[in-house]
Amino acid sequence: MDSNDHLKWMKEAMIMAEEALAAGEVPVGCVFVRDGRIIAKARNRTNELRNATRHAELEAIDCIIADETLTPEIGQQYPLSKTTLYVTVEPCIMCASALRQLGIQEVYYGCGNERFGGCGSVLGVNEELDHPVHKSYKATGGFRREDAIMILRRFYITENANAPVPRSKANRVLKTEINPPSSPH
Amino acid sequence: MFPEPSLSPGPHHLNRTGCLIKISDNTGRGVYASQFIPKNTDIDISPVLLFSKQEYENHGRHTVLDHYTFKWTEGRMALALGLGSLFNHSDPPNVTYSLDIRNDSIRYTTARNIHEGEELCIFYGHNLWFTPAKPSSQTCSEPETDDGWGGLTVVGDDQQDEIMDIPNPYADGDTEAITSEEDLPFIRLKPAPEEEDAQSIQTVQAWVVDVPDPRHITTLLKWLKQAGLDGPELGHLKRIRKHDDLTSLLLSTTADPPQPPEDLNLPAPYLLPVPTSAALTLPSLSLKSALWPTMYTPRRKDEPEPWTRGKVAWAWNAMKRTVGAATKARLENDELPIAAHIPAPYDDRTATSPLPTFIAADTRRSTRHPLRHASIIAIRQMADYRASQGLDPPPDDDAPSVDPQSDPKETRNGSNYLLTDQTFFVTHEPCIMCSMALLHSRVKEVIYLHPMSKTGGCGGSACLPMLKGVNHRFTIFQWKGTTKVTAEDIRIDPTIDV
Ligand SMILES: [Zn+2]
Ligand SMILES: [Zn+2]
Repeated sequence: MDSNDHLKWMKEAMIMAEEALAAGEVPVGCVFVRDGRIIAKARNRTNELRNATRHAELEAIDCIIADETLTPEIGQQYPLSKTTLYVTVEPCIMCASALRQLGIQEVYYGCGNERFGGCGSVLGVNEELDHPVHKSYKATGGFRREDAIMILRRFYITENANAPVPRSKANRVLKTEINPPSSPH
Repeated sequence: MFPEPSLSPGPHHLNRTGCLIKISDNTGRGVYASQFIPKNTDIDISPVLLFSKQEYENHGRHTVLDHYTFKWTEGRMALALGLGSLFNHSDPPNVTYSLDIRNDSIRYTTARNIHEGEELCIFYGHNLWFTPAKPSSQTCSEPETDDGWGGLTVVGDDQQDEIMDIPNPYADGDTEAITSEEDLPFIRLKPAPEEEDAQSIQTVQAWVVDVPDPRHITTLLKWLKQAGLDGPELGHLKRIRKHDDLTSLLLSTTADPPQPPEDLNLPAPYLLPVPTSAALTLPSLSLKSALWPTMYTPRRKDEPEPWTRGKVAWAWNAMKRTVGAATKARLENDELPIAAHIPAPYDDRTATSPLPTFIAADTRRSTRHPLRHASIIAIRQMADYRASQGLDPPPDDDAPSVDPQSDPKETRNGSNYLLTDQTFFVTHEPCIMCSMALLHSRVKEVIYLHPMSKTGGCGGSACLPMLKGVNHRFTIFQWKGTTKVTAEDIRIDPTIDV
């Protein structure tokens, strides 16, 4: 698979992030791809469900496992072993662990997650951390990174729309320049 | 006040509190109040008719009974007689109910004052006990489907665990007396050492701008809010530094410099290393404040919070109940013997409406879902309950929000994190996924019985609340082997993710 394919799938993940933004959720979206097609897509639902653990990845995983056509082998230990995840933000530690427990093949993400990132930013749950059973997986960032950052910024601006309006108008401008990532992907 | 769309009278029913059966076009038969009923009134005690597991599997579930029965102990199913089967579902409900296993009955109690003519409804839960009248559909946007999140739930606190009968060693004595660390039934895992020498101070690069005219500070603080830069990640630092007549403002840790309003003609922002956490001790405070003025939070993390004998007794009972649920999961459902339990907080014991208790067992085998771990199910049950009560969503983890360090008691029932102020009991150390779920939910403390040294996220494989960078800390307690709460062996394969 070449880089264009990755960008194509990441665009689909961005559409889900847009949906999250429209719903007032932290704009993170993802798609799971198997055999060249999307088998599940989801977005954050933490506000709607009053549950800070309902991240896009876990929502999509529940759809996959509930669908017998996608997990035909009953009781299969690694239902995602032939599946790739595209997600706009680096999976958090929780989701990174969930993905490893399900044997995900590979992960591509947009921007890093300095506060909770589970694929190296805070903890390397995908490979550095030892596990007695589950094999590691590769996680690569930097795909549509700018888009992922911009949509998070847009969320922050609308989140604070109720704050007092300051005298200057300069601050309402959405900043568009983005520095290169600290470590290239 | 309570419109009754085409209600017709139902069969006569003798009921002490004046409950009537009426028939509605929408929901069929239902139970209605014929008079005002005060809160906490027992309106009905319905005896149940029990079906064996076998009997129900072969016959019951193929019949109309399947819309009315609910789960009893030992895999049996129960049909409530009397009014019990006629309550409709409502979210939130105005009637709560509890199982009386010993007397084969269910007690229904009003959750609030009920007005004349109002329908009395219970919360069916998410396919936990009752099967909702409408068939469930398997779509992803429908969390109420029977996807195995149920496990064992108790809303209310009346269920008896009759599996074990080990007396509580903390039951007697002065409930207000402080228990010494040695006499606690668990050991407190030591928090990360405090940074008390210059080399150990953890820092991060932050943007700072000098403000020559201090009158601009107010405008700038408003602008910070507006620009979304007042999030919790810098909440452990003061925003303003005054240094030899020079006032500076802390802006952000973003990759690129924020741009303050141009009409203030400020100099360009510059990068400065600032501490990553508040100071827990005075030596640490002076070291950190030399870099940037830092908040001092000695009480929360430095001195361990004392445990009164009453609270220890409460914890002992809570852990015993957790173990009971785990044992039951294995004996009755052939699940892994793992359970998690969120009791109503000890400080709530005198409250008029304490939070309900949530207990969940691992269901990864019966649901064939490898991630149906007890902890994450318990969290989900509590979230679903809160949603059903119409409580505000918790603040977003990844979004700027109120400072979670601010007094949690005042906001617990409002916009708050799910597990603020809650003690979380679990039979085995939770895996990385579940430990992070607990951190996301801002749990106060986690108490587990069996450590999982290869897979656990609370000290075993990693210790998440001690990681550099995460924005919440919780206390971890490990049960001492000598304080017996269980008669059964619930140890599991050490390579399992709990
Ligand atoms: Zn996540
Ligand atoms: Zn787990």
